[in-house]
Amino acid sequence: MITLKNIKKSFNKNPVLHGIDVTVNKGDVLVIVGPSGSGKTTLLRCINYLEKPDEGSISIDNFTIDEKSASKKNILTLRRKTAMVFQHYNLFKNKTVLENIMEGLLVAKKINVAEARLISMDLLRKVGLEEKANDYPTQLSGGQQQRVGIARALALKPSVLLFDEPTSALDPEMVGEVLSIIKNIANEGITMIIVTHEIDFARDVATKVIFMADGVIVEQGAPKDVLVHPKHERTKLFLKRLTPEPEYEI
Amino acid sequence: MSPSLQNWIDIFVRVLDKLPLTLLMMVLSLFFALLIGLGIAIIRIQKYRYLYGIATLYLSFTRSTPLLVQLFLVYFGLPQLLLIINVDINHWDRLVFAIMAFSFHTGAFLSEVIRSAYLAVGKDQFEAAYSVGMSYSQALRRIILPQAFLISLPNLGNNIIELLKDTSLAFTIGIIDIMGQVRIILGNNHGIGMFQIYVVISLVYWATCIIIESLVGYAEKVFRKGHVGLSK
Repeated sequence: MITLKNIKKSFNKNPVLHGIDVTVNKGDVLVIVGPSGSGKTTLLRCINYLEKPDEGSISIDNFTIDEKSASKKNILTLRRKTAMVFQHYNLFKNKTVLENIMEGLLVAKKINVAEARLISMDLLRKVGLEEKANDYPTQLSGGQQQRVGIARALALKPSVLLFDEPTSALDPEMVGEVLSIIKNIANEGITMIIVTHEIDFARDVATKVIFMADGVIVEQGAPKDVLVHPKHERTKLFLKRLTPEPEYEI
Repeated sequence: MSPSLQNWIDIFVRVLDKLPLTLLMMVLSLFFALLIGLGIAIIRIQKYRYLYGIATLYLSFTRSTPLLVQLFLVYFGLPQLLLIINVDINHWDRLVFAIMAFSFHTGAFLSEVIRSAYLAVGKDQFEAAYSVGMSYSQALRRIILPQAFLISLPNLGNNIIELLKDTSLAFTIGIIDIMGQVRIILGNNHGIGMFQIYVVISLVYWATCIIIESLVGYAEKVFRKGHVGLSK
């Protein structure tokens, strides 16, 4: 279970998050949607302390960290309970595809090389890239790189898997292949928090949806409540802009 | 064999005889310069309190004073300075002073080469390393420095060549490297054949530089990971 309490964050005195509270149960798939600049990515990055919140506590399983207890050691402990899939993949450029997946196993999980290799090959098979094991990231397409990114995160068996707009940098043809992999993972009961602009995908995969705007949670609940029958004007406006009605007859 | 050709060969042999010493100075200075450069670069990137100021001061001084002056400061000045606190290093080999001066000098330049390469690797690689549970030093060792090394290679090559040529100043404190050897030959000849001798030493430096350049070029090829060809 993941609990965020009163998360506040400002960049240069410009408030981005105004005290966010979120609870995610084990096996939940939480999807966060909202307009650009609403603070959803910042919130996600606060969960593994890639951004340091100014205030507020983060609990994952039985481990709690807040701005006062955020020592290097505690931050490392928190990070080893999470894994992240990035918008721009962020694969290690000096490592092969297989080594990219093995790195976390070797360093954070202290698993021996032979076993790490086995686990990594298994995951590569799962994302359909076993024949690319010895290629370097620059030799892969965007969609392939993101699949490796997902395998790298999965390998760590984290308490929560964080997705930061995993398809925003992909061209439309590749979006599908990545989304279907994420959907498969969701069905396995792994706890996930996903920031995305893909509303159809959110409706499909989420067990809970949060709509954020201007650093606050405007609305949260089941996907059909938030995304199909929203109560707040702000949410309605956002969804309407995503699916504009044609202004002229064709 | 004509006497003049024999003459050329004689000079070559005598100059080449001292090449190992020149290379020894270069390699040892390069080694220490890399350590100094890495240390200074990390201090300046991390902006460690107090150390940052000292590192920046060192960098400014070293880059703004001639190497010859620094060499004399180390060779003549440092022993006197240390005598104040009762440390006598006057009996140390001249080579030690030369290597110290070259290391401090080149280290300053290398620290900027390393710092710019480090910054060029990009924050995204750090974030990825942290996200899989690496500490700062693990990220540095496994992910960042290997990439920074590759980025720094062309500049590093430049600085190695510069260092090789800088070692020619060692003769001013009485070290007989290839430059020192040339001075001795000229002294014995009363300056006769000056042109010939300087042509020879130019060729020796030049050839050594070409070898260094191709080694660096080869390293760039070997360490480049997964390069995708780009049609022109």
